[in-house]
Amino acid sequence: MKQVIIALITLFALTSCIDEEEHPDTPQGNFEALWKIIDEHYCFFDYKHQAYGLDWQQVYNIYNVRANGDLSSYQLFEVLTGMLSELRDGHVNLYTSFDNGRYWKWHEDYPTNFSDTIQRRYLGTDYRLASGIQYRILDDNIGYLHIGSFANDIGEGTLDEIIKYFAFCNGMIIDIRGNGGGNLTSAETLAARFCHEKTLTGYIQHKTGKGHNDFSEMEAQYMEPSSRFRWQKPVAVLTNREVFSAANDFVMIMKCFPLVKTVGDQTGGGSGLPFISTLPNGWTVRFSACPTYDHNRQQVEFGIAPDYEVSQSEDDFRQGKDSIIEFARNLLVE
Amino acid sequence: MMRSKRFAGLVILVLIAIRVAAQESTSSHLLGIGNTNILDTYLSQEKYKGSGFTYLYLREATNPEKHWSNVIEHELDFSTTEDRSKTTTELEAGYNLYWGRYRQWRLLNDHLRLQAGGLINGTLGFIYHTSSSNNPAQARVALNLMPSCIATYDFRLWKQHFAVRYELNVPFLGVMFSPNYGQSYYEIFSLGNYDHNIVPTTFVSAPTFRQQLTLDWRTGERIAIRIGYLGNYQQAAVNNLKQHVYAHRILIGIVIHE
Repeated sequence: MKQVIIALITLFALTSCIDEEEHPDTPQGNFEALWKIIDEHYCFFDYKHQAYGLDWQQVYNIYNVRANGDLSSYQLFEVLTGMLSELRDGHVNLYTSFDNGRYWKWHEDYPTNFSDTIQRRYLGTDYRLASGIQYRILDDNIGYLHIGSFANDIGEGTLDEIIKYFAFCNGMIIDIRGNGGGNLTSAETLAARFCHEKTLTGYIQHKTGKGHNDFSEMEAQYMEPSSRFRWQKPVAVLTNREVFSAANDFVMIMKCFPLVKTVGDQTGGGSGLPFISTLPNGWTVRFSACPTYDHNRQQVEFGIAPDYEVSQSEDDFRQGKDSIIEFARNLLVE
Repeated sequence: MMRSKRFAGLVILVLIAIRVAAQESTSSHLLGIGNTNILDTYLSQEKYKGSGFTYLYLREATNPEKHWSNVIEHELDFSTTEDRSKTTTELEAGYNLYWGRYRQWRLLNDHLRLQAGGLINGTLGFIYHTSSSNNPAQARVALNLMPSCIATYDFRLWKQHFAVRYELNVPFLGVMFSPNYGQSYYEIFSLGNYDHNIVPTTFVSAPTFRQQLTLDWRTGERIAIRIGYLGNYQQAAVNNLKQHVYAHRILIGIVIHE
């Protein structure tokens, strides 16, 4: 019995606490906590260093000075948001009770190439609407559907109905301009209706440690054809700079299918799956944690170029025409 | 025909009598309330503190002739916690099953009973970060082998019968589920990408331990009132992630001697 007791006491003595260092809830402490969270979890340091020279240690040196001192919450928010904007990433946000820190230059610096006033001339008022998808048949027998967001689940029944409704159309326009993303699974559910054989659509990685280059192997992502109604005719996907995140992923997948062409402007990007963490003062930070790549293992973080680059022309705008829809209609008729 | 029925009835009675003679068992139903402290670096670098509730069922069957006893415990926990700024919330819920087998020794004229052995612990639960939409929850699934000991001392005071019981479960080996450091649940479950998600653990990487100190006051032939403390300190550091759920509970309940 003595040996048993000694063994138990030894095991008990060997146990230790699993703990994490806490930064103080001061401007400097919150700055340090935020810098460290990004330093240990953000997934695009290497790529962005090559793309535009991002140096996260240098960012620390610059903003550390600014975070020193007796800052108000608003001043601290400005400093921290400024630091995060160095990442040039729409998936990086700082959420507080008074403002959301954001970097939106990926679309704010570009024309929208989309007008809902003009779009209304195509959709009219008697369009169909299901699962957040607006759709109708245009007068040249082209099916047109608009998805403004992937935030909602897209029902398989809805997709069956849309494909049946468009069955005698010569082609389909999928307008995702302004779609800032949402659920990846919604984007994939829709894309599977255009997939006719198992197709390599991209790769995904995740971080395995705190180092900037601690990543898992790239895992191939395949799309399987939907077992329900599938669309077998040409498709034009309309894009602009506001197409981001899950919508960017949708474009990345659709470009793998031979009957699909993309028309419009480059997408906004946002290829990192975001994670969320919290600071000592309760502010919440969102950041890109898992990078995804296209089927050629190339980054799509800064967007995907269209097959046909088309902008909204002023002449068309004055005539109430959407240059990108018109181009896509001609493309599908050809 | 009648004779064979009588014989069968007699056999059943004898078997029951033998079983009653051979098995002494107690079962207790306890409710606990107290503090919970949560850290899960997959969800946040911050620690979350708050209060929690526990229901603990403990059944112990002893065979005095064979010096062995079996213990089974079902522990249900629920906690609600906040970060230090009181801005964000984490909820924790879990079920723990403990099944143990002990060798026992009776000392001091049977007043002191020492038990040493081991138990198997199965954990099933989650931590939910209510403010996060991207990585909102962490699943907690683990299986542990835990060396364990119990000391029970019976005594009389003011003509009443009391018993003090202390139980200690310490870590040894196990296996647990964990996402990899920056791996999303989408990648694990939607894409089916496995990356060290079933992790073998030891008393170094998962130093989980648990202790109970209780006092029983025998108020009747078969009934005792039990009060005490339960400390369940579940910890792990795997895949470069750190997690702890410390539960401190004041317990109260009843013990039924069967």
